[in-house]
Amino acid sequence: MIERTPVYELMDHTADLGIRVKGKDLIDLFENGGKALLHLMVKVRSSGKPAPLKLKVAGNDLPDLMVRWLAEILYLFEGEKVIATAIKIDSLSPTGLEATLWTSPYDPRIHKIIREIKAVTYHRIEVIEKKGLWEASIIFDL
Amino acid sequence: MDIKIKEIDKNRWLIPKTGDMRVPGLIFSNRRLIREVQHDQSLVQVANVATLPGIVGYSLAMPDIHWGYGFPIGGVAAFDMEEGIVSPGGVGYDINCGCRLMTTSLKADEIRPYIKELIVSLFKNIPAGVGSKGAVHISSRDEARVALEGASWAVKNGFGQPEDLERTEDHGTLAGADPSVVSDRALKRGIDQLGTLGSGNHFLEIQVVDHVYDAVTANRFNLHEGQITVFIHSGSRGFGHQICDDFLKEMGKQNQPSDFHLPDRQLTCAPLNSDLGRRYLSAMACAANYAWANRQVLMHHTRETFLNTLGLAPASLGMRLLYDVCHNIAKKELHVVNGQESILCVHRKGATRSLPPGHPILPQIYRETGQPVLIPGDMGTYSYVLAGARGAMEHSFGSSCHGAGRVLSRSKAIKMAKGRSIYRELEDKGIYVLSRGKRTLKEEMPEAYKDVSQVVEVVHETDLATKVARLRPLGVIKG
Repeated sequence: MIERTPVYELMDHTADLGIRVKGKDLIDLFENGGKALLHLMVKVRSSGKPAPLKLKVAGNDLPDLMVRWLAEILYLFEGEKVIATAIKIDSLSPTGLEATLWTSPYDPRIHKIIREIKAVTYHRIEVIEKKGLWEASIIFDL
Repeated sequence: MDIKIKEIDKNRWLIPKTGDMRVPGLIFSNRRLIREVQHDQSLVQVANVATLPGIVGYSLAMPDIHWGYGFPIGGVAAFDMEEGIVSPGGVGYDINCGCRLMTTSLKADEIRPYIKELIVSLFKNIPAGVGSKGAVHISSRDEARVALEGASWAVKNGFGQPEDLERTEDHGTLAGADPSVVSDRALKRGIDQLGTLGSGNHFLEIQVVDHVYDAVTANRFNLHEGQITVFIHSGSRGFGHQICDDFLKEMGKQNQPSDFHLPDRQLTCAPLNSDLGRRYLSAMACAANYAWANRQVLMHHTRETFLNTLGLAPASLGMRLLYDVCHNIAKKELHVVNGQESILCVHRKGATRSLPPGHPILPQIYRETGQPVLIPGDMGTYSYVLAGARGAMEHSFGSSCHGAGRVLSRSKAIKMAKGRSIYRELEDKGIYVLSRGKRTLKEEMPEAYKDVSQVVEVVHETDLATKVARLRPLGVIKG
């Protein structure tokens, strides 16, 4: 299950919402990024038995991969009306990842929406290694 | 990074051309407003836009400028059709986010006792907030017609009157739309959202005309002190968000013009004279049309709600569209540059078109007055109606500001609102607000925005648009 407070901090942005996420390695970083996005959007609770969903995402480099990965999670909610209740990255390279998401259908009676996120932007996107840890900065359009 | 600016006069600031900038930056602002953006990324964003290939004149910003993503919010830039580019980040995710203002025959004194009842009914009848579904059920075939025809699809299907179309920018239909270039994902997101308000800064507001500055133009606009008006702010919903997202990814860092050093990945672009550039403009036009149909449907449901709640006949309500303007768009327009007429692709990211009296594409009803320019304030203060003025064609590619502009981040607003009831504070001011989320009310509280009257003053003094009337909110619904 997605823990209540995933590892991220808010960055100040006048119109939108920025976060800084950390991870002990790239897999941890990308998992935390996905969990942070869900944490910002919705109070995550599973409804019924969560169904596993395999996801493959390709990107041109790590920052592009991060934007595309988070955009997939956002689309699952906005387009397919399902919410990921748990996330596991199975494999990751700088240009692609494979993940398993456990998903529940969106049910407004169970899932409390916290805020609408319109999109994951490329503005000042950053994925960097710092003293053996990985860190990403991401700005969402609200 | 702080950007160096020079004061040209009390309402104009120059960012001199440095580094990769192809043109200087020009910001319409006064001393008080410019201070609010001097130390965030807004001015850097003006300078970044100035590096885009084929930019003409200046990278411009309106007085409501604030930090966006890619372009600043309040940014305007025009591009040469041969040498220039189109950038999805210069239009934004909410393609054709915009406003419409309706006038009525109602007087505030008569309606005041019914405001709460009206707001409660509007809140029930107008889907708002995250995940809301529209009251209109459309098929995939209908959705493609919406994308092609815009507001005219809505009118043909019983949502409004033919006269609404001439009172809408571009008659509510942007040319060049091609639904075949829109992704299945965008179509899927759009199919159940037609007729929804959205969340965040989107709203529907019942207002009273509080002050008239220009009696002659106000009269032509059918605006009179004490009269009830209704203001709607919404856009193209998930349909537009997905189209922007799709094309940003396709344009990508690796596909940029060879003479362009990308300063921010959100500024990826494609030459206007390329298949990718043309496809984006066709998909963007679909989203623009979706947004116009959306606001047309929202207006229809608003009118029905007023009629049913107040038990009035349509003639007694007299609800008519004054105008509908978009503020996130890229459009091919005719402008005069260095004495020569040329077609340019004008990007407006949080800016409103402002056409002066006599402009040939204005409908007959507004040919003498200039185009109505609608400027919403925050929910605790005024909104303004202005008329397009000649200075806009001379200085800003026919553009004006689009709103108050945020000054506080959402997290700062929430901190500032801690322990306060924004709902109660507004009610004490005579403004009844209903919102789907408590957080939205805090994030959108009046202190989070610039002083809209200052923003409007700059626009008025620089002749981008001139003040006609001021509107005060009485009731608001928010997502």
